[in-house]
Amino acid sequence: MSRALWLVALLSAAPAQAQFKLPDLNINKLLDTAKGVVKATHEINETEEIAIGRDVAARLLGAAPLMNDMRVQRYVNHVGRWLASQSERPDLPWRFGVMEAPQLNAFAVPGGTIFITRGLLEKMHSEAELAGVLSHEIVHVVRKHHLKAIQKGALTQLSADAAGAALNNVNAEARNKLIAFGTEMYSRGLDKGDEFEADRLGVVIAARGGYDTYGLPAVLQTLQGMNAQDSAVALMFKTHPAPGERLDTLAAKMQPVLESYSSQPQLRERFALETRTAR
Amino acid sequence: MRLLFLALLFPLLGHAEPASVIRATELKSAPATDASTVARLPENTAVEALERQGGWTRIKASAGEGWVKMLSLRYGGPASAKKGDTGLAQVFNVARTGSSGTQVTTGVRGLDEEKLANAQPNPAELEKLNKVAVERNAAAGFAAKGKLSAHQVDYPK
Repeated sequence: MSRALWLVALLSAAPAQAQFKLPDLNINKLLDTAKGVVKATHEINETEEIAIGRDVAARLLGAAPLMNDMRVQRYVNHVGRWLASQSERPDLPWRFGVMEAPQLNAFAVPGGTIFITRGLLEKMHSEAELAGVLSHEIVHVVRKHHLKAIQKGALTQLSADAAGAALNNVNAEARNKLIAFGTEMYSRGLDKGDEFEADRLGVVIAARGGYDTYGLPAVLQTLQGMNAQDSAVALMFKTHPAPGERLDTLAAKMQPVLESYSSQPQLRERFALETRTAR
Repeated sequence: MRLLFLALLFPLLGHAEPASVIRATELKSAPATDASTVARLPENTAVEALERQGGWTRIKASAGEGWVKMLSLRYGGPASAKKGDTGLAQVFNVARTGSSGTQVTTGVRGLDEEKLANAQPNPAELEKLNKVAVERNAAAGFAAKGKLSAHQVDYPK
């Protein structure tokens, strides 16, 4: 059987609900060719990353639409775009969106798309806090945390051929499964180490952007004060280390940067003004 | 006067939040380690957090008003006294009728695991997202208006 035919047989054999659980991994392994592995493990280039990100972003927006408030959306884009300009990937097609959802969460999508929920925005007190959260998410994109997790997931859950086809978008069905997997990843969360890295480097991005560096710690402190059983934070708490642990880690590792830039602007008034329609 | 006006307009700006100190802490007269000490607060003292300035938070306690290190505070009072479910998600979903023309029915729960698992692409919303994007130069102008200036800061080792 040719590889292409096998791929079709394989994909049609997997029921839609089973997502990435393919029937017989041993047979998949036998069929892994050197070529397939190369296709699926190569460094995904920026164009491919952006294309994967757009597909994942469209799905996330299928889960929760944008808040219908242009002023707030533009405001968050200004803050985010300014911060992204201070990162190592200033020229990505950065997009920021506030999702219409009461839960508190934020998502970084490969290729430069970042979402925060209305629920999280409502808990913030200043532009520096918003900047702290956006900077954390920007680091996920800069360090390709989600992209690497998607690629790894594709490789462990699809045959190398199917993973390669999905990543290169040459097979619609494989691609669909990949994007569904990439979207569900936001329910499973990243490695803790990626989250701690995004906290540490996020503080640096906020400092570079001229913001009071205590914005992110302030948001973490707000989260720490919430009941972990509250349905508004259930998903965020499940997918991130505990806020207290994140605060302790920042205090232990980032004290010099936190202190050196702590007197930069918080912009409480601008934040209140620009987001008042969202509250 | 302007501040007072803003405080009235945006309750959030002047909002006091219940908190407690997680360790014995000196209440300072100003947000600085070398400021004079107003009082010594024992561990678990209940306070009201008023505003933050850098790594310091202004608080009100029965012993007086002043500043403590932000990270010596825990919001929401003692863990046992934390409020339960906000019920936010439920109220929200009854009141809101989707802005995107997507289905509006009971049982829509905002953004949770099930929504993520069953999400279908929404190209119309993606198009909206593209439309609200901001150019790099416009963002720089916005930063300048807020008196934000860029610095070179290295990542920690």
